[in-house]
Amino acid sequence: MTTAAAVPAAPRLELEGGGVERRGRWLLRGVDLVIEPATLISVVGPNGAGKSTLLRLLSGAWRLTEGRVLLGGFDLAALPRRQAARRVAYVPQTVRPTFEFTVREFVTLGRYPHESRLFGTRSADRGWIDRCLDDTDVLALAERRVTTLSGGELQRVLMARCLATEAEVLLLDEPTSNLDLAHGLDLLGLARNLVDEGRSVVLVLHDLNAAARFADRVAVLDAGALVAEGPPADVLDPDLLRRVFSVRAVPLAGSAAPVFDFEPLP
Amino acid sequence: MRVAFGGYRAGFWWYMGAGLALLLAFAGIGLFRGAVPLEGSDVLIVLARHLLPGEHGPVDPRVDAIVWALRAPRVVVAAMVGGCLALAGAQMQGLFRNPLASPGIVGTSTGAATGAVFALTFGLAGGFLLAAPLFAVGGALLSLLIVTRIATRDGYTPVTTLLLAGVALNALLAAVNSWLIARSWEQYEAARRIAYWMMGGVTDRGWVHAGMILPGMVIGCAIAVWFARDLDLLLEGEEVAASLGVDIERAKRAVLWSAAILTGSAVAVSGVVGFVGLVVPHLVRLLLGPVHRRLLPAAFLTGAWFVVGADLLARTVAAPQEVFLGVVTAFVGAPFFLFLLVRHEGEVAVSR
Repeated sequence: MTTAAAVPAAPRLELEGGGVERRGRWLLRGVDLVIEPATLISVVGPNGAGKSTLLRLLSGAWRLTEGRVLLGGFDLAALPRRQAARRVAYVPQTVRPTFEFTVREFVTLGRYPHESRLFGTRSADRGWIDRCLDDTDVLALAERRVTTLSGGELQRVLMARCLATEAEVLLLDEPTSNLDLAHGLDLLGLARNLVDEGRSVVLVLHDLNAAARFADRVAVLDAGALVAEGPPADVLDPDLLRRVFSVRAVPLAGSAAPVFDFEPLP
Repeated sequence: MRVAFGGYRAGFWWYMGAGLALLLAFAGIGLFRGAVPLEGSDVLIVLARHLLPGEHGPVDPRVDAIVWALRAPRVVVAAMVGGCLALAGAQMQGLFRNPLASPGIVGTSTGAATGAVFALTFGLAGGFLLAAPLFAVGGALLSLLIVTRIATRDGYTPVTTLLLAGVALNALLAAVNSWLIARSWEQYEAARRIAYWMMGGVTDRGWVHAGMILPGMVIGCAIAVWFARDLDLLLEGEEVAASLGVDIERAKRAVLWSAAILTGSAVAVSGVVGFVGLVVPHLVRLLLGPVHRRLLPAAFLTGAWFVVGADLLARTVAAPQEVFLGVVTAFVGAPFFLFLLVRHEGEVAVSR
């Protein structure tokens, strides 16, 4: 997969002392995280660790109970939503759509922050939509209903919608969970390309080895707290993995990245 | 027109053209046919006198009165009521992400009825013509205010809470309406007027009624158009909509107020005309897809011709007796609703 035109360098995205409380429970607390421009950072952690919550905070979709998110030095919450949406895009975990948009209409929703209220999408927008559809390999599906897509097709369509925003920071929640091996690798490759062009990508991944291979940095969440963050080689070690994931991690030889074979604890 | 259930989509402009033709056809029949048989040429002369500049031939003043003071405003009010209800229904179905929501789902049409019934039972309408419609619009807006107040926490209004509060308020106001009607049982005239009004209809509506609904219609439509795109994004859930740039609380409030104004204005002049706001937008969505920039105008136009056509039926099926308009729309709408219910079993869940 190739990618469309280059985008200006991504702004720095920072979470300072971020915390969210919902119904008396802290889903995330005291998290400091910096996403440097042109970085692919992978967020890992066991179920319920707060990975999706972290992405929602970074996207501005959820308000913080404490702390703040800074985009290029400006408080994200104080930024008008449309402006923020032009810079930061968020793809939630795949949910089956219920309304019968065509793929093209669905991807065009991503143009919202650029559209005029009265005149809607213009021809320049339409050209950009075509490129996004092409980049994610779904141009042939353009006139299909989103309700009829397979999980993998839908995932790529969601990715196309995310690219349609032209945002420089992309937040992707488990983008590979519905994809077969080849499409999963394609998607990670696409993310890598986007980063090499100057964008920043935050990926929630369950596959630690994929995180180690594709990401510049890894952030490990456990029970709503950030327990480690840094380059994969520094962060991913058997001790930490045993503590956070309750597995025995056996390093695999012959790879530059810190990849492991996982076994259940006795 | 081909049936759309197979996944085929009608072209927007074809659909609008056909709708406009139907509207004009029904309006024409409504002007030329009625209890009093009139010469077609006389009707044309009356219309020319009122709509075209210059002098147009002599006409019996009684004919002029029948066409211009009785039939024409009736057709116009019917079209306006249908358009407003269908548009409000389309907005509520989008906001609640439920293709089977109705315009009054948050209590606004029952609230409008309460307002009007209140004005009628306490004899306010006798002294002041605008009392019932004004109380109706006020009732609709007040209902929405109560429901949103109940459902809002920390500046955030979840639509599921809104829906539940609306259901509760609907039940409460329906009880209030029954009580008010029971109270007025001895005053025969008031009870009769309320009963007539509750059945819904555009009988004997004059230009003054068209004037009453017009401001609400214009304001409601303007807000609806301005926030049409936001509804597209809200269909995908609030989180996605927010992340793509929608100010969701503002959009929700705007859509709710717009629909309440439209519903209140429609109920104010025509009483409770059921099923238009439920069936029409659903049908249009099946035909044209869920993009609101197409769906909203198409729903308005479809509601307009549907109600003008239904009123035509109401006048003619049992002539010279009139059937209530609300009865006709329910007779057409309810079976269709049941058909959708059976066909789309999975989509009928109230919230998701």
